[in-house]
Amino acid sequence: MGMLHNLTDLIKIKKDKMTILVLGLNNSGKSTIINHFKKSNDQNAIMVPTVGFMIEQFYSMGVNIKAIDMSGATRYRNLWEHQFKNCQGIIYVIDSSDRMRFVVIKDELDLVLQHPDLSRSVPILFYGNKSDLEDSLSSVKIAAALSLENIKEKPWHICSSNAISGEGLGEGVQWLVQQIRFAMLSHKSGHKVKSKHIK
Amino acid sequence: MAKACNWLHVESGDGEFIPSLTTISTCLTLSDVQCDGYVRLLAADIALDDDKEPSAILKVFRGLKLKHEQTLPGIPTAIESLYIDETEPKTPVIAVAIAESVLFYRHLKPYFKYSIPQLEPEELEAEVWRKLPVMKSETHDALLASLKDLDHAKLSRKTQRLLQLPEEEREAFIKSHKDSPVGRVGNIVAMCCLKRISSDANPPSHLVLATDLGDVYILEPQGFNLIYQGKVCSYETAVPSLISVQGTYETDFSIVVATRNGGVYLLRKSQNEGQELLKLNTPLTGLLLLPVDQTIVLSCMDNRFLCYSKRGKLLYQVELEDLPVCILPLSMTHLGVTLVAIALKGGPVKFYLQRYLVDELHANETVDAMLYGRMGMEDHVLTLITQTGDIQIKILRRVTRFEPNADALKGTTMGDKKLIVDASILDKPKKSSIFVEQAAREKQQAKATYGSFQVELWRLRHTAARATIDAINSSESTISGDLTHAPVKLSAEVCGSGPSFRLYLTVQNLSTFKMASNLMLLLHADRRHYTITQSLARLPSVLPGIPLRMDFEVIAVLDPMDKLPPPSLSLDNSHIRVMLTKEGQAKPLIAAAVAMPQSEAAAAF
Repeated sequence: MGMLHNLTDLIKIKKDKMTILVLGLNNSGKSTIINHFKKSNDQNAIMVPTVGFMIEQFYSMGVNIKAIDMSGATRYRNLWEHQFKNCQGIIYVIDSSDRMRFVVIKDELDLVLQHPDLSRSVPILFYGNKSDLEDSLSSVKIAAALSLENIKEKPWHICSSNAISGEGLGEGVQWLVQQIRFAMLSHKSGHKVKSKHIK
Repeated sequence: MAKACNWLHVESGDGEFIPSLTTISTCLTLSDVQCDGYVRLLAADIALDDDKEPSAILKVFRGLKLKHEQTLPGIPTAIESLYIDETEPKTPVIAVAIAESVLFYRHLKPYFKYSIPQLEPEELEAEVWRKLPVMKSETHDALLASLKDLDHAKLSRKTQRLLQLPEEEREAFIKSHKDSPVGRVGNIVAMCCLKRISSDANPPSHLVLATDLGDVYILEPQGFNLIYQGKVCSYETAVPSLISVQGTYETDFSIVVATRNGGVYLLRKSQNEGQELLKLNTPLTGLLLLPVDQTIVLSCMDNRFLCYSKRGKLLYQVELEDLPVCILPLSMTHLGVTLVAIALKGGPVKFYLQRYLVDELHANETVDAMLYGRMGMEDHVLTLITQTGDIQIKILRRVTRFEPNADALKGTTMGDKKLIVDASILDKPKKSSIFVEQAAREKQQAKATYGSFQVELWRLRHTAARATIDAINSSESTISGDLTHAPVKLSAEVCGSGPSFRLYLTVQNLSTFKMASNLMLLLHADRRHYTITQSLARLPSVLPGIPLRMDFEVIAVLDPMDKLPPPSLSLDNSHIRVMLTKEGQAKPLIAAAVAMPQSEAAAAF
């Protein structure tokens, strides 16, 4: 019987919406990544810096995803925390070629992780974007530079991506959707399912 | 204190080579040289090895990575990045000031060279150069000797070089240089940018140049024309060393120039002769004209940093622990404040908001040069170059707020009073409310105020007069009663029948051993009755036993018509008061009244 329950739950979720928060510094490629997930006729040809935030909807992995694309500009970064309460997953986009700003990325990430609205377990997906550039670092190096291994309470995953060609994007979202489903299931069935990192 | 984490330190990757850099603050700039929105660090790396000719290389860094190198044709004094026009895409031009010229680079390629105008040589010098090639070499020494009278700094570079040469090389030098012009040019010692307008994000800028001859030029970089010429000081040669500019060229601007002698001068758009604001005894290491409150911040060699108003008034000063090496304004537009960063000898970098210390950093060694601004994609980046050439990049945390904490505020207000006394500022009372109210009252009741003042004045005079009379009356005798001095006796005799009399006064020292010195005789009579030709006589020292006899001429005043004495003269007041006074003593020793006989009218003729 339990098996059947789970199955019906899964079907139910399919109709549900997932809310994902897209964070990252300015010029890291957040809007470009979301642009890639949109239907080809909705895609923008020219990307401009986001002001404030944008809400985009797209359908991926059989789920309707509502992505809140936050602006990464310094003066808009204080808007991030207002969205923490109603998000189920976070995508943190990193410009893997911008070596100089890794300290800033780390600092902003720490601020996100320490925020009281995110004390629950929310899966975080890191995109090491712009992997095509010559200066870009591998996802392992990024994880080391940001000391991601210290994130214990939340499931996380890092993959390198290229938002222009779409390389690596699908893999990341697949992981994130799975994690959110997992979390919802465990929440609904009341079972404590321990989430693991998948690398 | 969680101060240490206000700045995020950018660490270089493992095994990554960080190039070293020897430079000064003015030779650092940030520029979007590739026009891709990524602001790169440009620096002149100055090599000053003992065994090699000094040389400089322009280096372009992307983050901490060296991306481009270019040899410069000399040692630059300053590097600036500026936009010269409004055409899109906006391309910055790098201006490098070397000796008397400014080299412009666009896309890191030579674009233009501007040289500052030559000055007319001194009459004598030109004359010498006309004569040198044609005259015999024996006469050269005399000619060159005549140049010695001129100020060495005012000679052309060619002449300066000639004077330094040993005699045997002079001949050849004169031969090879006889046709080159004799004009003298100043070296650019400081350069900075002045925006034309303020509205745009990256408006075209003008260049402000200061030369070692004390001239200030503003160069318009579109056509490379001089559009402003000024003199730092109108009455003497003040050699500028530091310069700071605020404002926009179109509206109004002010240029503050610090000289090598510690003087600070202000030039404005409307006034192209420097106005001396202040002069310090110690050399300056940094000068800033802050944008918001338009104050001038100086750091000086006696471990202080001072803030002056544009009128030259000292607003505050802060004692530093060590020598300030360089100073930098950090304008944080998102916080609405401008901090002043001061790098001290030994490594500490202190951040001041006005006089309050709000933050500090510790570099492991003395910081030689600093730069702040948008670098890469980040707006608030501080670059520090240390003495050994390390490049350290610090990024301001987004959540940082700079506020002087309550303790500091309390502490410094206490310290303030002490500082003000130190600065020998007169502790003038401010216009208190009592003062203002009193001024208003006086204005309203001017008549009554004046009246009451006059009443009081007369009362004072009356009191003084009464005290004088008392003093004179108390010493009314012929022998002085003061025990501390030698007792003196005064006797008088009047000879003549009038109207001219002769008054003989005899002063006798009654003491046996004391000398009576510093005595004066004062005669006083009613001016309407008697005229005394000499009313004061200083007496020589009066020896004991020897009487001193003096005579005074006294003329009785008679009516010229009827030859009668004035009606006010009566027997009671027909006397002359004789006072014997001692120098330095207000009270007379002896005050006596000599009764005058009635004057014979006819005797006047």
